[in-house]
Amino acid sequence: MLRLLAAGLIASAAMIGAVRIASADPVTITFRFNDTEEEVRGAIDEFQKENPDIKVELQRIGWKDARNQFLREAAVGEGPDVAHVAQVWVTEMGDAGATLALDDLIQKDPPPNGFADFAAQDLAKGKDGHIYGLPWTTDTWAMVYRTDLLKEAGVEDLPATWEDLRKDSEAVHKKTGKAGFGFPAGSSASGAMWFLANFYWWSHGKELIVQKPDGSYAIGLQPEDVVEAMNYYKQFMDGGDNPQSNLAASDAHDPAIMQALVTGDQAMAAMPPNTYKEVLKAYADANPDKPVPFASGPFPHQDNTKSSMIGGRMLVINANSKHPDEAWKFVKFMASQAVFADYYRTQFPAQTSLLKQIDFGAPLKGFAEQFPYARTWGAYASGPVPIGTLWNATQRAFGKALSGQVSTEDAARELLAEIGKQMP
Amino acid sequence: MRERLFITTMLLPSMVLLALFYGYPIFDNLRISFTDLSLLGMKKGGNWIGLANYRELFRSGDLGHILFNTFIWLTATSVLLRLLIGLGIALLLNTRALKMLRLASIARFALLIPWATPPIVAVVIWRFLLERNGFVNEALMGLGIVHQPIAFLADMRTVWPSIMAIMLWNTVPLIALSLLSSLQTVPEEYYEAAELDGATNWQMFRFVTLPFLMPALLVLGLMSVFWSFNNFVYVWLATGAGPGTFTNVLATEVYLKAFVDFRLGYSSAIGMVMAAVMGAFGILYLRLVARRQLEETL
Repeated sequence: MLRLLAAGLIASAAMIGAVRIASADPVTITFRFNDTEEEVRGAIDEFQKENPDIKVELQRIGWKDARNQFLREAAVGEGPDVAHVAQVWVTEMGDAGATLALDDLIQKDPPPNGFADFAAQDLAKGKDGHIYGLPWTTDTWAMVYRTDLLKEAGVEDLPATWEDLRKDSEAVHKKTGKAGFGFPAGSSASGAMWFLANFYWWSHGKELIVQKPDGSYAIGLQPEDVVEAMNYYKQFMDGGDNPQSNLAASDAHDPAIMQALVTGDQAMAAMPPNTYKEVLKAYADANPDKPVPFASGPFPHQDNTKSSMIGGRMLVINANSKHPDEAWKFVKFMASQAVFADYYRTQFPAQTSLLKQIDFGAPLKGFAEQFPYARTWGAYASGPVPIGTLWNATQRAFGKALSGQVSTEDAARELLAEIGKQMP
Repeated sequence: MRERLFITTMLLPSMVLLALFYGYPIFDNLRISFTDLSLLGMKKGGNWIGLANYRELFRSGDLGHILFNTFIWLTATSVLLRLLIGLGIALLLNTRALKMLRLASIARFALLIPWATPPIVAVVIWRFLLERNGFVNEALMGLGIVHQPIAFLADMRTVWPSIMAIMLWNTVPLIALSLLSSLQTVPEEYYEAAELDGATNWQMFRFVTLPFLMPALLVLGLMSVFWSFNNFVYVWLATGAGPGTFTNVLATEVYLKAFVDFRLGYSSAIGMVMAAVMGAFGILYLRLVARRQLEETL
């Protein structure tokens, strides 16, 4: 009888335990995403369906505050489990101890085709050689054109040199009265002039930060290189083919620029593919029966130089995360082919194998042509000055020059002095 | 003696709270200002570098421009205009004509709308209004005043007046309503007596109204200095301190250095300089206003 009672008690205890395990609350991880919720909502729902034991709480924050907010939180043991970050932030975040080294997780549970399949691997690593982020998307910039306006201005081929770009922009403005190359000339700390300045320098075989053979870093530009780039872009402002009001715009997706492209008030712009896709969609929505008068093309370059960046986003896991395994499972899922095919269609994946499967289509052909002439930030990201500082200083200097606050010579001198002050 | 002890005891909790919530952050900020603490190095902390941040700040080539923007545009111009426009509106609201037409209450209510609008919303609204295709440009072009849209927040000729317009729209109502309440305390007999003595409108304003308004003007003026000098929202949201660094002020410089360049130590040094300037204003305020009020009360 006693034996029976004991067996009954053991069985009951085991059942209670099993029920407890079965009804255990799912692990909740937080994912901080910096673009619109609708871009990832479907993918998150799908992940939760496939992994009922993991609940993903979506947090949203604007790009402008994302980096600072994450660093502040991580420094005091807080922050989301998984964060959406720019590729160029990963090295410094890893060095700051804000993000988790992913080496063990990658080794234990590697992504399909391994880590070697991902672009921008150099930017995913910290100075200690560990991997701190998984490249998620690529957003190489290219030029986009309103072909109808180019035709009206008598421009038959897309410009292949910086001089042609200037000439064609001027021709559009003079012959049609519309804006030519309308770029965001504002000086916001994370604005687009930074990209345009670097594309110009790179295409001429120059770069702002270089790594010397002995491993040390230096400024790779002379004042005259900076002045040349500033003068080049200033011509568009002075000639009126880039409206003065674009001094108040800092981003490629500024509504003033996107709207002008859609309405045909501007012929040329520089942007990442997701912004371009939005422009194409807005045009198609407004003109349902008309053919799309857009084309894209690479930034001017020489055969042996680059003129755009392999930029994009990465996913990182917070060093303070209490659920790194679940977070890694989520990161891997978000980088899978299914997510890009079914949900996150505004972006291109960062895996070479997935990129090869994409049919870019006619309007996006220029982005495909740009890829071989795009590069990562290399020494900029691994160098001693935080990339945000380089970015801000360049933005401010170009803003000063393009608005006429100071001469291009003074702005160039100030820029190099400011960066030089922070080089060891 | 017992009374003093009682007062001290009663004040003690407030003093402790003040020391905790104000004193500690100030001293910690002062400590950070002597270090090279970076946002990327918060876990390991900063190294002690003495006065290096202060030396760099005072030798910075941009400091003169930033101080000019902060003192002349952001503070002096905005405070002066705020008081003048506020006074004008208060006088208008106090006119007999407006009262007779029973418009005073409506006008007062209308005045509350911009004041009740949060600054961030005010700036966003104004940014829309001042855009290339915004209402202001459309109106100016429609009236034939300009032929090309004006880049109000990007053109160096218009950017400060535009920021001023946003600030004034949002903050003048408080000044106007405060002055209006002071105006309503002026005894009507004073005006009647002045009128009998043959005083002109200007003389009545100068010798009757203004003396009554002076205490309020002084308090509002000094308070406005505090609000304006430290203000970050209007400039940052309207222009991001641009074009270039044309509208950079001390408060935006603190933000740029701390959260763009990640130099928390240097940024703290700027913050301490700002605190010192405000401390000087605070002493002035105490001497001019608070002490007199205290004496009058006692």
